[in-house]
Amino acid sequence: MAKRVGIVGAGVTPFKGTWREKTYYELAQMAAREAVKDAQIDIHDVDAAFYGIYNDIFERAAIPEHAIHGLLGMQDKFGIRITNGGATGAYTMSAAHAYLAAGRFKTALVLGVEKATDCFDFSSMSATPEVIKSIGWSADSFFEQGIGWSASDSYAEVVLGYMDEHPGDLKPEVTARISSQLSQQVRDNPYAQRQLDQVTPEEVMNSRLVVYPFKELEICVYTEGAAALIMAEEETAKAISRKSGHPVVWITGVGEANEHSFAGKNQKDMTRIMSDYYASRRAYDMAGIEDPTKTIDIVELHDAFVHQLEISMAEFGLVPLGNADSLIEDGLMTPGGKYIVNPCGGLIYCGHAVGASNIMSAWSARNELIKRNLKTALVHGTGSTVAQYTVCLILEHE
Amino acid sequence: MDTERERVIPSKYIPEKGSHVEAIDGKEYLIANDAMYTFYQRTKGEFSAFFLALRDEKKLLGCKCLNCSLVRVPPFLTHCPDCNFAPTELIEVEPVGVMNTTPPITYFATSLFQDMAPYGRGRVIFEGADTAMSVNLYTTTGILVPGMIKKGTEVKLVFRDRRIGEMTDVFCVPTAELSPEQIKRKGLQESEIDWESPVEPAMPEVTAEDSARYRDAYAEMRSIIEDMNRNERARKDIAGWKREVLVKTKGGESTIFIDDGDIRIDEIRGLSPDFVMVCEDPRTLLDGLAYRGAITDAVINKRLWISKNTEFTTIFKLDRMARSVARSRKTS
Repeated sequence: MAKRVGIVGAGVTPFKGTWREKTYYELAQMAAREAVKDAQIDIHDVDAAFYGIYNDIFERAAIPEHAIHGLLGMQDKFGIRITNGGATGAYTMSAAHAYLAAGRFKTALVLGVEKATDCFDFSSMSATPEVIKSIGWSADSFFEQGIGWSASDSYAEVVLGYMDEHPGDLKPEVTARISSQLSQQVRDNPYAQRQLDQVTPEEVMNSRLVVYPFKELEICVYTEGAAALIMAEEETAKAISRKSGHPVVWITGVGEANEHSFAGKNQKDMTRIMSDYYASRRAYDMAGIEDPTKTIDIVELHDAFVHQLEISMAEFGLVPLGNADSLIEDGLMTPGGKYIVNPCGGLIYCGHAVGASNIMSAWSARNELIKRNLKTALVHGTGSTVAQYTVCLILEHE
Repeated sequence: MDTERERVIPSKYIPEKGSHVEAIDGKEYLIANDAMYTFYQRTKGEFSAFFLALRDEKKLLGCKCLNCSLVRVPPFLTHCPDCNFAPTELIEVEPVGVMNTTPPITYFATSLFQDMAPYGRGRVIFEGADTAMSVNLYTTTGILVPGMIKKGTEVKLVFRDRRIGEMTDVFCVPTAELSPEQIKRKGLQESEIDWESPVEPAMPEVTAEDSARYRDAYAEMRSIIEDMNRNERARKDIAGWKREVLVKTKGGESTIFIDDGDIRIDEIRGLSPDFVMVCEDPRTLLDGLAYRGAITDAVINKRLWISKNTEFTTIFKLDRMARSVARSRKTS
C-alpha cells in the first residue's frame, strides 16, 4: 500500500534575469535553507535529495548536482538528478513522491536550480540568443537541430496545429488579456523577475512577433533562481506539521505522459497536447477526482506561452477544446472567476528558471491553498519538443 | 569561397580570452569569457543512406514497414515499433507534399540561425509517406509572412546547390510559386528557381505636405532617440552593437548611428550605411520607436522595407530599446 506524501516546507530564491552575485551552488543552498527553515527541521533530518536541473550547458557541467550534494549537507545520502526538459521540476517532484510513497525514505529535499543567462552570444553581445541556442541542443540531433528548431518554434507548431483545427479560438485579443492579467497577478509575488512589469492588453498586442504566432509579451522569460520543497511520508509529515504549525499540503495525485517526438500517422497529433490530457487524467484518477471542473480551485500551470496555457487548460478538461477563450470571455479565470490560474504570475512574469520553475509553481500553489483556505490545486509541468512531456500533480489542503 | 563557412564554429562566435568586473550594490563580481565545447566525428549510422541520397542523388528516402506498410519519412528506424519490431525497407518517395499543419515562422532566431531568419520550419507529408518530415520553408517572393504557407499548402522539395549530407541540403517552397516543369522535375535545385531579389521600393513624388510631415516626425524621432540615449536599460540593449542605418522616407532622409550603447539620429548621410530602411510614411518608424507598435511587425507587414533580412537583429534591438524606455517610465 502506497504511503500518503505531503509538502511540509518550501522556499524559493528571488527569480532574476541574471544573478551576477551568485553561482548555482549558492542559489541551491539559498532555496534549501529557506525550505528547511519553513519546515522547521534540520537539513540532517532529510533522508534523500532529488535535484531538478534541466540543462548541463546552462550550469556548464555535465553532472552539475554532484557539487551541490555535500554543500547542502546531504553527503553520504541518496541523491539523484532528474532532467526532463521543461518538465524537469515536475518530474523531480514525481520521482520524490514515488520514493516516499514506496517507503524508501521518510523525508526528501526536492530542489530545482538553474543558471541560464551566464550563456552569452558574443556576436550580438546579448544573452538571449545564446540561451535559446543552448536549449536548441535539446532537439532531435539528426533531422531538426540543424534547421533552426527552437523551443518557441516547436511549441508554435502545436499551437498552430490547434488553431488549424479551431480557427476561432486563441484570439489575439484574448491571449493579450491573459498576459496582461498575469502581469497584474505578479504584483503580489515579491520573488518574481517581473514583479513591477505590468502591461496592458494593447501593449501585448503591439509587442513584436518573435516566432509566429507568439509575441514577445506572450512568452516566458529566462530566469536564474532556485526553488525547494521538503516532502515527507504521512506520519513524518504530520509530525513535522505539528511542530512547525504549517498544515501539510498532500500530493494526492500524480500523472505523467511523454508523447511521440515526430508527427503524422501513428505519431504525435499536432493539433493536441495529448501529454497534458493523459497526465491530467492519470492524476485525477489517482486523486479520485471525477469532475475537475467542480474540484480544482487553483491551477499553477507551466505557461511557456500564453496560447499553450489556453490549450493546456482545455486538455485538463477545465474548459472545452475549441473554446479555451472562455477562460476570459466567460470570466473563468478573470478575478473572481471559477479558477485561480497562476497567481504567482506564471513563468511569463515570475520567470522560467527551468529546473526550478515547476517547483516554484508547487511552492506558490501550496502558499495559495493555505492563504486562501482552498482545497485543491493542479500543478503542471510541460517540456521537450512539441510539448511532448507533461507531469500533473494534485495538491490538497485539508 | 568563404573559408569562414568551412569552420565547424565560425570565428565570430568565439570570444577572446578575458574577464571583466561588474559592481552591484558596492560589491565586485568577476565575470570571465568562457566556452564549453566538444568536437565530434559523428556517424549518421543507419541514416547514412538517407543523407547520401539527398547529397549525391537528390532523392528523398523513407522506410516502409513490411508488416503494416506505414511509410516513415525520413526513415527513422530499421524496425517498426508498432508491429513488434517487424523489419522495414528503404523506398523512394516523391519530392512534392502537403503541409501537415500551418508552420511557425521564426523572426528572432537563436545565435546559430540569426543569418537564416526569418525562416519557416514545418512538417511536410510527401507523396507516398505517412509521417511528416521537418523542413525549412521559404518563399521565392521575399520575406515569409503568416498566411503564405498553411495546413494543406502543397510544397516542393528543393535541393541546395552545395550539399553536405545534412537536413540543410533541402528546403521547401510552395508549388504555387513554381512552373509545372519545376514541380515535375526531380532533384530541383535552388539555382533553377527565380528568386525575387530585394529591390528598394520606389518613392512617390514628394509634396510640400510630405516634407512638413517628415520634419515633424524627424523632430519627434530625434527627441525619442535622445531619451533612449539617456536611458541605461535602453543603452544596454545596444551594448557592443555598431550600425549605420540609412532611413529613407517620402519627405526626407536621415541616418541612425548605433555605437556600443550610444544611439543618435542625424540628417547627415553616413559614409557607409550597413543597411537601408525605407518607409514611405516616416510615422511608421516613429511609432515603432515610440513603442506604439513593433518595427519588426512593420517589416513583416511590408510597411517598412530593409535591404538585408539579416538586419532583423538590429530591428529587434530598436524594438527592445523602445520597450526599455517605456518600462523605465512605468517603474520610475
